[in-house]
Amino acid sequence: MATAAAVAILGVFLLWRGARTLSLGLLFGDAPILAAITGRVPVWEGIWPACVGSLCLAALASALAIPLGLASGIYLTRFAPARLKKSLVLGIDLLAGIPSIVMGLFGFTLILLLRRTFWPEATTCLLLAAVCLGLLVLPYIISTTRNVFESLPATLHLTATALGLTPWQAVAHVLLPAAVPGLIGGVLLAVSRAVEDTAVIMLTGVVANAGLPAGLTGKFEALPFAIYYLAAEHQSPAELDRGFGAALVLLALTWALFQGARYCQRLLMRRWPMR
Amino acid sequence: MADALIKDADLLLQVSDLTVSFNGTEVIAGVNLTVDRGELLAIIGRSGSGKTTLLRAINRLNECFDGASTFGRIQIHLDGQWHSVYGPNALPLTVLRRRVGMVFQNPNVLPTSIERNFRLPLQLAAGLSGAQIRQRMEEALGQAQLWGEVKDRLHHPATTLSGGQQMRLCLARALALEPQILLLDEPTSSVDHVAATRIEALLHDLKARYTMILVSHSLGQTRRLADRLAVMKQGCLAGCLERGQLDDDGIFKELINDIF
Repeated sequence: MATAAAVAILGVFLLWRGARTLSLGLLFGDAPILAAITGRVPVWEGIWPACVGSLCLAALASALAIPLGLASGIYLTRFAPARLKKSLVLGIDLLAGIPSIVMGLFGFTLILLLRRTFWPEATTCLLLAAVCLGLLVLPYIISTTRNVFESLPATLHLTATALGLTPWQAVAHVLLPAAVPGLIGGVLLAVSRAVEDTAVIMLTGVVANAGLPAGLTGKFEALPFAIYYLAAEHQSPAELDRGFGAALVLLALTWALFQGARYCQRLLMRRWPMR
Repeated sequence: MADALIKDADLLLQVSDLTVSFNGTEVIAGVNLTVDRGELLAIIGRSGSGKTTLLRAINRLNECFDGASTFGRIQIHLDGQWHSVYGPNALPLTVLRRRVGMVFQNPNVLPTSIERNFRLPLQLAAGLSGAQIRQRMEEALGQAQLWGEVKDRLHHPATTLSGGQQMRLCLARALALEPQILLLDEPTSSVDHVAATRIEALLHDLKARYTMILVSHSLGQTRRLADRLAVMKQGCLAGCLERGQLDDDGIFKELINDIF
């Protein structure tokens, strides 16, 4: 109840402040829309590049963290020897406790190290930010995977084994499909966490006016940073309102992510009607 | 692995000095047992006497649990050759588990469609494809007297079947892999009386075709089905009754008093 009330109040406030700025102008400024979408014309006043930047960031960070997180979680529950498991879990818990600003500093220092050693041209960029964000959410994905796999009924594994499946086949064909509905929620939370994080990207390559991301080693814009920038540096109330508008767009983006995941889940359940 | 000591042509399984312990606690100790081809050996004993552990030692399922250690020797005669179940030259685990089928105490259907319950093991463990899978599934479901009941709903979730049907599905799934031995762990204890009677009748039919080791909680059932009866007591084999002795009320009563 309290959560629902808090979310409602926040939503109403955001809508009240941001709704009137919601227009194509918020996204693209004065630039012609089609040309802006394809990147032929730079967008100066809109948050479109930030949207694309955030999506690229989320996609890259997910591509790095989800496979690694799932694999680590499965290894920890099904394959790791007890002793190794203990120390690995400790490491993962420590990783989960690292504040995002520290993770940003880590990325920044990594670049300094690379510049002074074998890669003098290295600089903060999209790939670095994605790696750091991936690292930031990795422990959440691992924990979710472990929890879901440990809560699967023990007979599931025993049955698969008794039918002559190898441990790997049991995981891939029986346990993982049974775990998917539980996994989706946790993985989504982790991805949303990556989308909204500001501290990491501030130190690893986000800039206010980079335009559309030019590549893995280019600078980029991102929605949370755009919101921060608009709120902190606004020259007029209208600009501040655009910050609220950008926050609404970020919310909508996250919401779209959730819907997309739900759709994937339904699709998976239809192909493999576990439960 | 050939063994000069084993000469009996009818022998299918030989268990020697089998000891299984979990985290240092012995659950079965020094069990010696043989099973002939085509025989139904029933095992009875109080709960905790090590019946299930003995069954699971044969298909090495105890190893799925933490802290299990097994000593002794189990040999099985497959394709004209003796194979060790444990040890350095042991039969590959997946082959062993395919050739030694198991039906659990509770119906353990995979939470997916009826058809996929067959397709997964047949495709992954037996390496079959399309038409062969279909054929094996039909045959096995026929043997388990379930084909008529499920042939129109093969793509329905297996969990929508009744308890008795699920049990017969598990039996069929084990049969589809064409096992040499069937391990049955109290297959009628989790279903109602009518379903249990039906499964018992089914086992009676299957007796002619399969070698089975049946752990049972029901003395009556044991008496009706078994060719031979092994009695477990606190992890040891306390005695064996032949078919003739099973029919003798006096000997049987004495046995019951002895166990319980």
